[in-house]
Amino acid sequence: MPKKILFVEDDEGFYNIFSVPLKMKGYDVLRVSDGSSAVDKVIVEKPDLVLLDIVLPGTSGLDVLKELREREETKSVFVVMLTNFGNDENISKAMEYGANDYLMKYNIVPSELPDKIASFLGEDPNFNIKVTEL
Amino acid sequence: MEQTTVLNILVILESILLLVISFILFSKTRNLTKLKKYEEEIIKMKAKNEAKMGDFLPILVHELRSPLSVIKGAADLLMKEVNGLSADQIHTLLNQIKSSSNSLLDMVGSILDVSKMESGKFEVNKSFNNIEAVLKEVCSYFEPLAKMKGLTIECQIDKTIMNFSFDAERIKQVVGNLISNAIKFSPEGGNIIVSSKKVGSDCQISVCDTGVGIKDSEKPLLFQKFYQASNQDGIKKGTGLGLYISRGIVEAHGGKIWVENNVPKGSKFIFTIPMN
Repeated sequence: MPKKILFVEDDEGFYNIFSVPLKMKGYDVLRVSDGSSAVDKVIVEKPDLVLLDIVLPGTSGLDVLKELREREETKSVFVVMLTNFGNDENISKAMEYGANDYLMKYNIVPSELPDKIASFLGEDPNFNIKVTEL
Repeated sequence: MEQTTVLNILVILESILLLVISFILFSKTRNLTKLKKYEEEIIKMKAKNEAKMGDFLPILVHELRSPLSVIKGAADLLMKEVNGLSADQIHTLLNQIKSSSNSLLDMVGSILDVSKMESGKFEVNKSFNNIEAVLKEVCSYFEPLAKMKGLTIECQIDKTIMNFSFDAERIKQVVGNLISNAIKFSPEGGNIIVSSKKVGSDCQISVCDTGVGIKDSEKPLLFQKFYQASNQDGIKKGTGLGLYISRGIVEAHGGKIWVENNVPKGSKFIFTIPMN
């Protein structure tokens, strides 16, 4: 059973460059492109990890995170903020709301993202799952 | 007796005159107070916007960083994983590099325009052009994007407007900016109307939407540099230069640009280009 990653990202470009290597490593990558439907998607899909952008249409990523932590059924989901807004205010708010990590998009080499995800999920980064098409 | 009557009349007239003078003075003071209040409000709003200008650098950095990160990431994948990528995936990544490069070029172009406007070196290249063709071209360009958001675009052309001298590329930029804002600020199911009409010796172009509209307090700030209006979700995106540049282009043609409330809802951006 492949691990499920939910990508909350409105930018098609970022979704493409980050989802391709994850899918190549066998992850089941789902996407929601606005903040308002993100919490519902987490409830329905029960992902193993959420990659959450901050600037989103509908509800901001920080508010999504807050709601995820407040709701019984989503409070323990692993959430990694993935954004290009690296100001102290956002980082401290994300940590205060309970983000598991905070990554800057421009610092992440897409081909190295699967290893990072694997370490978050406590997996062997060199695990080799079958390659799937987009 | 007659003298007393005349005196009485004079006293009454004097009283009336005093009353009138008092009233004029009172209303003038009231108007002055109102004017002063309005002036103070504008100064406050401008000061608020000055503060936003101070915040502009992180926004600009974010706007430049996003397409750059996508280009870098796509190139990285193409270099390292090319053997594992399908033809479709390669195509998607190459397309992404292309569209991110285009948005970077647009942004650099905007910054350059602003710098020229600031130094008074901004110029338009006018030649005889057809406004109908320009408006139709911009509407067609934005139609797929509007459709994706569940919006319609309608073009209402005044056929009596003959060819006149204007910078077609720059006017396309203004109309494109207004349509793109209308798309951004309109909820699904809305309608955008782009129209032209002859008003005296001017060609008047308007872009109306059925979106969330613009608060009266935001209207004086909209065409200022770096001002970003919030969309219906309160999210601010972009550089806040589009309307400032649009104003610069319109003014370089000798025209004016402003915004009104659209009836029954939404906004109506209007600009003029002198045809003489």
